[in-house]
Amino acid sequence: MPSSDPVKLTLYVAGQTPKSLAAIENLEAICRTHLAGRYSIEVIDLRKSPQLAREHNIVAIPTLVRELPIPIRKIIGDLSDSQKVLVHLAVGTE
Amino acid sequence: MTAAYPGVGIEELRRRLEEAEDTLRAIREGEVDALVIGGDMAEEVFTLEGGVEAYRAFMEAMEFGAAALDGHGRLVYANHALGELLGRTAAELNAVGLFAALEPAAASAVRRIAAKAAHGGRRTVEISIKAGDEDRHLLVSAAPLRLGPSEGVAVTFADLTARVRAAAAEESERMARAVITSANEAVVVCDGDGVVTHVNAAALALVTVSPVGQPFRDAFALEFAANGLMEQEDLIAVAIAGAPVQGIEASVPNAVRHQDLLVSAAPLVVAGQQTRGCVVTLVDLTPRKAAERQQLLLMHELDHRVRNTLTLVTAICARTASSADTIEAFQTAFLGRIQALAATHKLLSEKSWADLTIQEIVQAELAPYVGAASMRVRLAGLGVPVTARTATALGLIFHELTTNAVKHGALSVNDGVIDVRAIEDDESFVIEWREREGPVVSEPTRSGFGRTVIARSLAFAPDGGADMRFEPEGVVCTMRIPAQEVRPSTGV
Repeated sequence: MPSSDPVKLTLYVAGQTPKSLAAIENLEAICRTHLAGRYSIEVIDLRKSPQLAREHNIVAIPTLVRELPIPIRKIIGDLSDSQKVLVHLAVGTE
Repeated sequence: MTAAYPGVGIEELRRRLEEAEDTLRAIREGEVDALVIGGDMAEEVFTLEGGVEAYRAFMEAMEFGAAALDGHGRLVYANHALGELLGRTAAELNAVGLFAALEPAAASAVRRIAAKAAHGGRRTVEISIKAGDEDRHLLVSAAPLRLGPSEGVAVTFADLTARVRAAAAEESERMARAVITSANEAVVVCDGDGVVTHVNAAALALVTVSPVGQPFRDAFALEFAANGLMEQEDLIAVAIAGAPVQGIEASVPNAVRHQDLLVSAAPLVVAGQQTRGCVVTLVDLTPRKAAERQQLLLMHELDHRVRNTLTLVTAICARTASSADTIEAFQTAFLGRIQALAATHKLLSEKSWADLTIQEIVQAELAPYVGAASMRVRLAGLGVPVTARTATALGLIFHELTTNAVKHGALSVNDGVIDVRAIEDDESFVIEWREREGPVVSEPTRSGFGRTVIARSLAFAPDGGADMRFEPEGVVCTMRIPAQEVRPSTGV
């Protein structure tokens, strides 16, 4: 993936559970550091809109979905391991 | 394609399998805390926090402010009571976070105890926050909390404001009472109707009945010395209306003892600008007034004494000159008499012109010739204080008697003795000067000023005076001092 491609991310959370809060904070920190200027994040609270889980077949929360660039990738958990997140996002390697 | 999943390729199935395995791993390792359950039904979210709804419902039922933080201090949930305490809705609080809703110092204190509590144990701290225009005092307690697979911290906020204010008010009241009680001057506190509510010991000493509960005007019944412009009711009314009144002289006719007072009154402002009564201070002027009267008396006395002394010096000079045969004789006699006056004056001034005893006067006059411990002079019953004018008269008489004894009488020989003693008498205080063991005495051929001084000095009152007799054994002089000139004996 060319390093200039935009990265579109969707984070599914469940209100303010500890893991959801941690995932939001960790994702914002990773993006600021490694994807500055070329990412967008949409946070979807499945407590408010549980039906939105169907689009990406979400089972566990929190789950991060990389929608762009394709192919779609999912990362489950609170994203506290930034190296693992970066590997899964494959930023700059595809 | 596969048989079980028609239309789905092997790669897609492999991806789905990896995703399913990752989901299971994440659940097993506690990386998720909520699941979406749906299938053919509508999706629902279930958290793994362990009865989250139950603990949130419990938090809402609490009257205390409460918050659940995760292990990193992030706000998981805050109840409505905490929102109200911090002046925000619970939703606003949950949006901005707990620490952003607190002032920096308070946020730091809560963050500190939350971090400690996360490692075990309960911690508490008191903080102050601004809620609108008023300060609120909160007792914050933090304790570990299990949030499903995660560790967190439960933080509760108890509003101590009312208790702190009550304690402050109590302390303030105690301090105010201590100030009133400790004041040297009389302090009286009245309510808005002029009724006495508090008094200190100095104020109680002014009256015979406790004034608390009585109108000030009845309890103290002051009489103002001024020109009638200010009455007691006016004093209290003016102060209660908010204007201080300072330094009005008054007295309390019905007091335990008569006192001259300096009265001031000030409005009692308890909270804000509202006047709740007045504080009256009564400063005892009695000692100052007495000192002023004494000073005035002394000034008159000094004036009188200076004029008398000048007249006396003139007379002494004239009479000494008429009886002296030579300039040297005049000089010796005149200086001796003036020095006697000076010695008496010195004694008087050292004693503030009062309370000089007869013995002190006799000893002052004899001192140049006979030591205080000498057996030649015997004094008895003379430790009696006399008035200043009697002291002056006795000073002159004893000077003349001493001078005569030195020149012609008991003190002119080595064995002569002088007895000076008080003699009982109903109407006046009598002193006898009796010389013996000296030369044989005979009546002198002429009467000098010395005898005139002796005869007249105590004759300022009908029952005062002195007689001098020249008996062969020695001179005898009897002095009568008017009773009113003598004060109670000091026991000398």
